[in-house]
Amino acid sequence: MTKSMNNEQPTFVESRRTFLKGSAYTVAGATLAAGIFETIVDTPVQAEETKFTATPKALSFYPPFEEWDSFTELDGQDWKRGGVGRNGVKSDTNPDGIEVNEFMLVPTVCSNCEAQCGLTAWVEVGEYKRTKDPRSLRVKKYMGNPLHAGSRGRNCAKGYATQSQMYDPDRIPFPLMRAPGSKRGEGKWVRTTWDAAMEKIGKKMHDTLKVGDEMSKKLIMYHVGRPNENGFGHRVPHSMGCDGYDSHTNICSAGAREGTIQWANDDRNSPDWANAKLIFLQSSHAADAGHYFQQSAGYIADARKKGAKMVVLDPRLSNSAGIADLWLPVWPGTETALYLYLANRVLNEKDINGNDLINHDFVENWINWQQMMNDSDHLAFMVQEGIIQTLPQDNSYASFITMLQELYAPYTKEFVAKECKIEAYADKLDELYDMFIDAGDRVSTFLWRAGPIAHRGGWMITRAGFLPLALRGAMRGDVGGVGMHHWHVISVNGKGDAATVAGERPPRVDVWNEIAWPPEYPLSTYEMSHIMPHLLLDDAWRKKWNDKGLNVPEKLAVWIPRMYNPVWINPDGFRWIEALKREDKIEMSFNLSPTWSETNWYCDFILPVGLAGERHDQSSEPTKPARWLAFKNPALRVALEKNGWKPKNPARATLEAHMASGLGEIWEEVEFWANIMVHHVDPDGSLGVRKFWASKEDPTRAVTIPEWYQAAFDKLPNLRRVAKEKYPDSKYPNYEMMRDMGTWLEEDNIYKPQERLVKKVDGKYLAHGHEYDERDVEKDEYGRLMVEDHVFGGKKAIGVEVEGKERQGFHTLSRKLEFYSKWFAEWKWPEYAVPFYPRNAEERKKYVHLVSQVHHDFIDESKNEFALNTVFRLPYNIHTRSVNSKHLMEISQNHNPVWINTDDAKRLNIKRGDAIKVTISDTVSNLESGYFIAMAVPTEGSMPGVLQCSHHAGRWKLKNAVDIPGFKHKLGVLGLGAPLYDMTMDGKVGTLKPTEGLKEGMLARRDTWQFKEYNKDLDNIWWDGLSGAWQNAVAPSHPDPIAGNHAWHQKVSIELASKDDKIGDIYVNYENNMKTYQAWRDKLTRPLNANDTLRRPTHIKRPAVPLTLKAYTVHLKG
Amino acid sequence: MKELQENIDQRIALYGLISRLMLKEVDADFLKNIEQDERLMEFLPNYRDWSKRNEFDVDELIEKQYNVDFTNLFIMHLVPYESFYVRKDQMIESGGDNPVLELYNALDFRVALSDARVVSPDHIGVELEFMYMLNVALKKALEADDKEGVCEVLQIQYGFLRDHLLEWAPMFLINVKKESRTPLYHDGAELTLEFMLSDFEYLTKKRGEVCASEDAAS
Repeated sequence: MTKSMNNEQPTFVESRRTFLKGSAYTVAGATLAAGIFETIVDTPVQAEETKFTATPKALSFYPPFEEWDSFTELDGQDWKRGGVGRNGVKSDTNPDGIEVNEFMLVPTVCSNCEAQCGLTAWVEVGEYKRTKDPRSLRVKKYMGNPLHAGSRGRNCAKGYATQSQMYDPDRIPFPLMRAPGSKRGEGKWVRTTWDAAMEKIGKKMHDTLKVGDEMSKKLIMYHVGRPNENGFGHRVPHSMGCDGYDSHTNICSAGAREGTIQWANDDRNSPDWANAKLIFLQSSHAADAGHYFQQSAGYIADARKKGAKMVVLDPRLSNSAGIADLWLPVWPGTETALYLYLANRVLNEKDINGNDLINHDFVENWINWQQMMNDSDHLAFMVQEGIIQTLPQDNSYASFITMLQELYAPYTKEFVAKECKIEAYADKLDELYDMFIDAGDRVSTFLWRAGPIAHRGGWMITRAGFLPLALRGAMRGDVGGVGMHHWHVISVNGKGDAATVAGERPPRVDVWNEIAWPPEYPLSTYEMSHIMPHLLLDDAWRKKWNDKGLNVPEKLAVWIPRMYNPVWINPDGFRWIEALKREDKIEMSFNLSPTWSETNWYCDFILPVGLAGERHDQSSEPTKPARWLAFKNPALRVALEKNGWKPKNPARATLEAHMASGLGEIWEEVEFWANIMVHHVDPDGSLGVRKFWASKEDPTRAVTIPEWYQAAFDKLPNLRRVAKEKYPDSKYPNYEMMRDMGTWLEEDNIYKPQERLVKKVDGKYLAHGHEYDERDVEKDEYGRLMVEDHVFGGKKAIGVEVEGKERQGFHTLSRKLEFYSKWFAEWKWPEYAVPFYPRNAEERKKYVHLVSQVHHDFIDESKNEFALNTVFRLPYNIHTRSVNSKHLMEISQNHNPVWINTDDAKRLNIKRGDAIKVTISDTVSNLESGYFIAMAVPTEGSMPGVLQCSHHAGRWKLKNAVDIPGFKHKLGVLGLGAPLYDMTMDGKVGTLKPTEGLKEGMLARRDTWQFKEYNKDLDNIWWDGLSGAWQNAVAPSHPDPIAGNHAWHQKVSIELASKDDKIGDIYVNYENNMKTYQAWRDKLTRPLNANDTLRRPTHIKRPAVPLTLKAYTVHLKG
Repeated sequence: MKELQENIDQRIALYGLISRLMLKEVDADFLKNIEQDERLMEFLPNYRDWSKRNEFDVDELIEKQYNVDFTNLFIMHLVPYESFYVRKDQMIESGGDNPVLELYNALDFRVALSDARVVSPDHIGVELEFMYMLNVALKKALEADDKEGVCEVLQIQYGFLRDHLLEWAPMFLINVKKESRTPLYHDGAELTLEFMLSDFEYLTKKRGEVCASEDAAS
């Protein structure tokens, strides 16, 4: 009907009809009109002079910094009432005037992703000044922080949603303890206090540490999620002498880090987006959702405004791909081949003038080609392996280039088109190449999640991805190119030692914890945290290593997730639940968590800690070539203190402020850890822990926030100098300046720091905080400045001579970018010591470690098999703590469908909205894991043969609310963000089935008792909360044998769901999942053996606790 | 003047109809009112003849057809605000600097934006209702035989159509017509567009007649 209407020829003017002729209408206009004009207004326009404008002149308006302590602004309802021009400002004499808020802008930092964008909490303090009742303080909005050098006053939806997280009707209002006599997971809770909880937990930790043997230092595990703490969390186990830290990194970004470590011994690259000529993205990360979305997207937009092109490699048409100049969907996991194709053309072709495309100036000076050309054994090995055909003629640079030309020649357009399954649009490779070459050395990329975390061998994507950039000189860290993470980041959050009794950093730790760093994965970039339960529950594995002479823990005495939800986000969730339920394996557990989570459900204590505007943290991220840091503040505390309020106990001021102002018994980690250590873990100092947390000013109490951050920020010379100038009379000028500004730019425009000269003063070299007498510094054959390594023995380099000057260099052993990773070859992986990818089917079997588990070799279309791309984020829903933000949930309701190419859908008779069964199976163990039921959406935005379904959705809960004995209100559980499910599990098979949406839970109690004023709109909730299936539980843990990352992508087969299946259902054979993990471990890893003397190379990062040589040393029985 | 008097109720009715249609979701009463008027239904021919009106009850049509279309056209995908169309930066001016709001204020009209559920006073429905209000004022002036007042209102109406509604609403309405998925909004958009253009011609003529004689009389 409407289609035919709209096919009419336009007749906008010709068909003009006569409206006013003829008889009058039977219906009166007044009956029809909406009547939104209040006719003639009686109130006269008030012409008084006013500072208030109805609209700022620019969207980027922020109050001047001088007014942040008291900025008056018209109430948000102003526009509805016609403005101050008509009504004037509300006052005693003008009660009908527009209300004016008096805001204090307290700067803080967003905690909803890792980008750490600046925020300002707008605390309404006018009412408090009148009443002196702290409960009248309200954060009325969160805006950006214009002083923040990275985010520049801007935020994404997640930043502004901080307010709805803060005033979440289901916020956990006080510490909870598992009800005595109940089992973990029963959902029975009682109210407790921070003091009571600290007493019980502190005693357990004390008793554990008191034993004092090696094992006692492995039994406390701090398992930390986001937001970043820039080193504070590391200090917690470190100060106890424990090797007990787990992060989430190996389900996040460990693959990319492995490749970067081999090139640069750095954690990740740091692009200069804003000045690039080509933005070269793999996946939707950076511009779309991930690291460091809002800031990166802004700089990418700046670059494109100046004419930069953008390329996106992604099997999925992401938002980024949709606006790119070139979207190239390649088969997931084969990107390595494509990067080596670019390398091949750079090496073997000339520019239009016949000149080399290789940036010889950079490659010859800054790539470690000499080490490779001098390593005749390794060259011979490469010939023997068939990686190269003949030995180089000599060890010259020219021969090195000739060798590369031969090495990468097989990566032709034809090869890549087939390998990446882009035969239909192979000409796009030429387009890509032209863009790449045209950009010169101004190519920026950020190789992070997606490919590198998704695959076995994903790390090689990063390794290969940097090669063409290095050949073109884009890895020099210059303007518009790619720099390195540590050049652009500041981490001082854990360095407030000078404020403590000890006055210095805790000593290195003497033990090695196999639960975090098992011997099969010596090169894992971070802890093997995603297999923690597998390790704890695998008696045979533990026995095997104990028989070889290790001392592997059989349990954890205390497991402490901190703002982390591993049960839900890690693969094989039922295995996690099995482990957490076992009180013999995890004797005590508590989650420092601001929200309900699936993990909380299985802990002994839930201790509510603060969100972005309710805590202290120092943050800093490599979002641009500069070193900025930002500082989280608890807004209500700061507002109270600046208005004269004083806590009873200055070491617990944040907790007291939150209780006084009615936010709840919400604390923060810095104060919590200092207090529990001083008063409960080591009250008498006998364990040697107390001194690292007790205040130097008053040793009877814990260190305070001003003391701690005065000391921590003192590490930054520019910050320190300016703070002293600005706050000359303050005892804590560093802290006060950061409290007031929330951010600091320590150094800007950091380019090519590897070229900086090594500092030398009065015959002494200065490097990494140490002095070396020039008589003790030797220059080796490669120009490296070698000094004695006092920690691990032997020699280490502190600089390198390049073009006759002693330069600082990169952080590698060679001080150059390492095309050839000698140490990697020595650590059992010689065939992968240079960027490489199998060139044919036979090599894909031989070099299986580089072949994705979802490679098209393994996918049989006739069996309805697909590769499932799981690793992409929904821009508004990243980490699990934002689940109950009503604003974010409202825009998240897309049920996280499975994207399927339209041709594939047609072939399988799948239509939009159909429920499909997605069955996961493994290509190493050949076992099936189970299935999840999801909604299919056929789309051209998915490449054929590949399905897309983000693993960032599908939250669940097992109860709508919990009763707390003695407390008159029920505590709602994830009422806005997760439906109710039924769960079964029997040790082998687990199932989950959604039973209720939000109506029965949240909407039945929409008249919430908590934060009522802010939650008057709960009856507007239209969504049912079902945001997809919990696919993470179906996925088996299968760690990359080298980088250790969980390889996220899955081989799946699909079929239409049966009538009994419901979207959201999952069925998991987690007994099979354990076998799959073991198959990957046993068939693919190269574990430590009797010939090894170290657990891991000492020169690469070993997060997060610094260890002694003794801890690194290992002696295994044969 | 006589012709103005004869036409004023029709103009009031038409502005009442189109402003309401553009401003809020329809309800059963509104539909009943227009459906019982054959002349009005002549302006909505596709809607009048739409078979689904006989197949489904009105509540179902409202819930599953009209409200869906309204949400798409006026809330989600098209932008029914003058400032969006006329400002170079395509921003909706929701504050006190909006020239339309200034005009309302200058004439002592106040918009209850919260009742209208719009973010800015230059919403097409509000602007059309402003024309409706001016017609109500015109009717009073005509009844009082206040020639000066009649001329003033005609001048304002003429100016408001010329400087505001006709500057942007045709573009918006053409979009509505193209994007609509129900005959109600398709015909409604066409009616609104045609009537505005027709009324502008009418005002041009009447303003010339009435205000010229007013000038001559004074």
